[in-house]
Amino acid sequence: MSDSLVSLVTALGDDELVLGHRHSEWTGFAPHIEEDVAFSSIAQDEIGHAAALYSLVAKVTGDSADRIALGRDKSDYRNAILCERDNGDWAFTLARHWLYDHADELRLEALEGSAHEELAALATKIRREERYHLLHADTWLKRIAQGPVEGRKRLADGVMKAFGPSLALFEPFELEDEAVKEGWLPLPSGELRDRFVRFASEQLDALGLPTDIARHAEEGAEFVASSSGDLIAGDGAEMAQGGDEDGTGGRRGRRTADFDALWEDMTAMYRTNPGATW
Amino acid sequence: METWEVFRRHGHREPFEHCGTVTASGPDMALLTAKECFLRRREGEHLWVVRRSDIHSFQDESMLEVGNDKDYRFNSGYRDVVQKRERAKERAKELASK
Repeated sequence: MSDSLVSLVTALGDDELVLGHRHSEWTGFAPHIEEDVAFSSIAQDEIGHAAALYSLVAKVTGDSADRIALGRDKSDYRNAILCERDNGDWAFTLARHWLYDHADELRLEALEGSAHEELAALATKIRREERYHLLHADTWLKRIAQGPVEGRKRLADGVMKAFGPSLALFEPFELEDEAVKEGWLPLPSGELRDRFVRFASEQLDALGLPTDIARHAEEGAEFVASSSGDLIAGDGAEMAQGGDEDGTGGRRGRRTADFDALWEDMTAMYRTNPGATW
Repeated sequence: METWEVFRRHGHREPFEHCGTVTASGPDMALLTAKECFLRRREGEHLWVVRRSDIHSFQDESMLEVGNDKDYRFNSGYRDVVQKRERAKERAKELASK
């Protein structure tokens, strides 16, 4: 019973920690000083959310949040692969930030109805901070979508690259069926993914930004929101760069070379001084 | 990109006070970054951004100088009033005792 809870909350925490770490790599390098401060705040928020989620897991398993965050082997992380991808340029970072935070919003909204009271309360608390993340992501996306041409083109490329893998944020985690049955997660990931695809494709279409859905539409395939997952999955190989790029497998522990470098960096201090506190 | 002047206030009844500037491409981006630059440690509860070019002032600052003969506009111009009042009291006492 608690295994499925641990699986769910660990996966959520891993998304937040790994993406938070990626965001933090912009500190000192963001396009301008004001944005540097703003995006660093968002990175801190995400890592704070991870800490809170890991603390919940730690309470159930008798572990410590630091150990969960920094003391695990690479193969024990369950984040979606999108979160571990190298930052690339600012446009890809923004596209991923927008997709991730809107996906997270749907997930957190569902979790507010979790049968696990502490998790439900934590979802409410996290959502309060996410309001700024959503405003930030929406404002940037709209701004860059308006041009100039190079920015818009880079953003379109970023969205193309991130959209497919963002659907893997809703790849079922281990023991999900049990977690849904227990009410820890009130809606199965597939249902959340359908909502996400509907929302994201509407928003991106309105800005004239590409999605795989839009491409299917152009090709004459009728897009039915409720079956969109199958449509995407069925065409996964053709998506973006193909092969590895559909970004699935993260919830089952598949890791990419990008993750190796991130993990080495992120856990270096902890591995040098196991059990250190700061 | 333009320069935006940032104002914040500490409480509902407090005046907005200037706290710095941000560079941004529009009011929405200015607010977005100003929040994290100037309100990240509960320094206030509300924020304004104003496009610097929308702020108007005198070209010639000497217009703002106040002439030397305007004593009557300053408290210091009335310093002798207390002494005058004391003298008037003395005088009143004198007259009463006569």
